[in-house]
Amino acid sequence: MQQDALALLGRAGVRVSAEALASRRLAVEDESGAYRFVFVKPADVPVYVEHGIADCGVVGRDVLLEAEADLLQPLDLRINRCLIAVAAREGDRAERAGVLHVATKYPRVASAHFGAKGVPVEIIELSGSVELAPVLGLSDCIVDLVETGRTLAENGLAVVETITESTGRLVVNRASYQLKAEAVGRLISDLTRAVGGGGAEG
Amino acid sequence: MRYYFGREARLRRAVETAAMSVFDGWGYEEIATPSVDYYALFERGMGHVEARRAFRFADTDGRLLALRPDITSSVARAAATLFASAPRPLRFCYAASVFRQLPHSRAEWRRQGRQLGCELIGAGRADADVEVLAIAAEVLERLGLGGSYRVTLNHVGVFNGVAEQLGLSPEAREEMRQLVDARDAGALGEFLKTLGRSAATAERAARLARLSAGRTIPEGTREILSNERSRAALDELEKLLSAVETLGLGESFSVDLSDVSGLGYYTGLVFKVYVEGAGARVGGGGRYDDLTANFGRREPAIGFVLDLDALTDILARRDFETRNGAGSPAAIEGDDVTERFKEARRRRARGERIKMD
Repeated sequence: MQQDALALLGRAGVRVSAEALASRRLAVEDESGAYRFVFVKPADVPVYVEHGIADCGVVGRDVLLEAEADLLQPLDLRINRCLIAVAAREGDRAERAGVLHVATKYPRVASAHFGAKGVPVEIIELSGSVELAPVLGLSDCIVDLVETGRTLAENGLAVVETITESTGRLVVNRASYQLKAEAVGRLISDLTRAVGGGGAEG
Repeated sequence: MRYYFGREARLRRAVETAAMSVFDGWGYEEIATPSVDYYALFERGMGHVEARRAFRFADTDGRLLALRPDITSSVARAAATLFASAPRPLRFCYAASVFRQLPHSRAEWRRQGRQLGCELIGAGRADADVEVLAIAAEVLERLGLGGSYRVTLNHVGVFNGVAEQLGLSPEAREEMRQLVDARDAGALGEFLKTLGRSAATAERAARLARLSAGRTIPEGTREILSNERSRAALDELEKLLSAVETLGLGESFSVDLSDVSGLGYYTGLVFKVYVEGAGARVGGGGRYDDLTANFGRREPAIGFVLDLDALTDILARRDFETRNGAGSPAAIEGDDVTERFKEARRRRARGERIKMD
């Protein structure tokens, strides 16, 4: 995500020098000095932006769905496209007469999905290597981010059902959007052009 | 579960006093509402979705009570009952704690907040809108926040007109409101297409989520809004903006037609207050002409609240100093106890802070 986001920002005229990136510092300035970049874990992006420590952020929709943070999401950056999907062992439809056990890093997305279908589930929250859960018998299926499907295939799993699509999003703090309206507005329109939608994305 | 003491407590008290003195200066009378009241009051006042956030409990007869989650409901009831025969308009102000449950929140202390607010009831003309906006601005200026706050204006008629024209169900309308509020024009366009609206209609409505915030109504807005209701709302906003500009407040005000969070019981103008140094809004208000009808008397009304805790946090990081007890108290020493008390009394009468040692 970071590479793609920086490439996109570069096309929008916001460049971070190679030295700054190589320095391994977690906060660097762009070449113009107008922007300060903070590199944090994906799940922390909504936190920094919601509290207004960062005015804007780039983060995957998968993270936003889980965070339920109060943020503005003015632009789909169309980077890092992947799916949030239900996957199970090959040949298994992930349907049970009783309670379906679902392992996932996305408990909110998973329970909303199965809840809407009226399927009783037990959500087992994991923090990584979710693909292992059905293999070792911890769960019947998983809800996870699928980029190429290779990790799934290597573990003998296949997508049963797509829940939704996830791409990188520009998120903006509510107060910054008003108090720094001009600067934020300029960034949004520059990025919109760079994305290539010409102002009519979606 | 948050304590205030020392400098912060004095600061908080000073902010409250400053706001109340501005309200007083505009002829608003303080009103103290009950902390505990029937849950039905708040359900009528705020609507059941908002009211559900109240802490509820029963009395010995099983009647459902609540710790007040807002003040406006109680004030509206008082206006329609206690003050039914009082001359209009009514002007009320308050500094009062409210209590709300916050699902998913990690900031549990926010369950208790303190609102500084005022309500102007029985005045429906545009001057009433201007009056309330000017009061909000005056409070913020009095706190030394001039130049670092922004009040954003919107009118519920803009969004409601578009939703009405699209003929949406209540659920779809709520979904649309959330997408506009998140400025997610892409997702909004997709959503409207899945509801069977034509691509052209969906695209045009989605532009509602992409209107920029600024000191004037963005160009091209009238083309997006092809219904009477939205356009009438836009006219009202335009008049309000020029009134604000005339008062010399233009710098601090802007219009954001996409800001549609918490439309709740509002019927006309809605506004939000943002201050540099706070990542979230610190207040807001609007016109609620239908609310008092829930208590038996329909009349126009408008009001707003500011969040005292948020303001205190912002000012604690600035140099807003309190007059009261900014310095440490002086200690009085001596062997003669009576003499010490007398001396202390003399000096306190001069306004000094004296501590018995």
